[in-house]
Amino acid sequence: MTDFSSALSVAASGMQSQADRIRHVSENIANADTPGYRRKVISFEAVRGRDAPNGAVQPGDVQLDQSDLPQIHDPGHPMADENGNYQGSNVDLIIELSDAREAQRSYEANLRVFDQLRSMSSSLNDLLRR
Amino acid sequence: MNINNLMALQAYDPTRLQAIAPEQTPGGGAGAAFVAAMEGFAQTLSRGEQQARAAMTSGADPHALVTALAQTELAVETAVTVRDRVVEAYQEILRMPV
Repeated sequence: MTDFSSALSVAASGMQSQADRIRHVSENIANADTPGYRRKVISFEAVRGRDAPNGAVQPGDVQLDQSDLPQIHDPGHPMADENGNYQGSNVDLIIELSDAREAQRSYEANLRVFDQLRSMSSSLNDLLRR
Repeated sequence: MNINNLMALQAYDPTRLQAIAPEQTPGGGAGAAFVAAMEGFAQTLSRGEQQARAAMTSGADPHALVTALAQTELAVETAVTVRDRVVEAYQEILRMPV
């Protein structure tokens, strides 16, 4: 494997991790109004082993955000307790949207690297063709 | 002083062996390297086909497909360029007046 092709697979692993991240962000946004829902967060881990000899990134395990669920006062709600409160979700849409934007930017960065590697390798081949 | 000489000899010996070793089989080394390169090329090609089939039939990860196809494109482009150069050199030899 040349440096080019191994760098291509590293960039692809970055894109795949960001795609996984944005999947969890969309799940959080979709469940923003679900009572008792805790937002899911993932971390990224560097891998280096037999599967990825050149190093890559992979999404880590999903963790639930342990911050307190907000108490929402709505006596007409079917899940309301005797005080008329129920637990909402701890999803903050502003955080989720900025997280989604960050995932998009990281994805674009990996995509640029991918594209640049392709143009570099084809320039090298053009040099040989002349 | 003697120890220094011995150590220098010991350090020199592996380098000498390394320098001699490739000269013993010049043709075999180049041939083996060519075979290995071709095997790698065929492997890259088959991986690209495999990924394309998996992505079309079982909905495999599109990133893996894009990577495999880009690597295949790279390998094919390199192989075609090298082949063109080899054919060109061969034709140049054929055009030589005997």
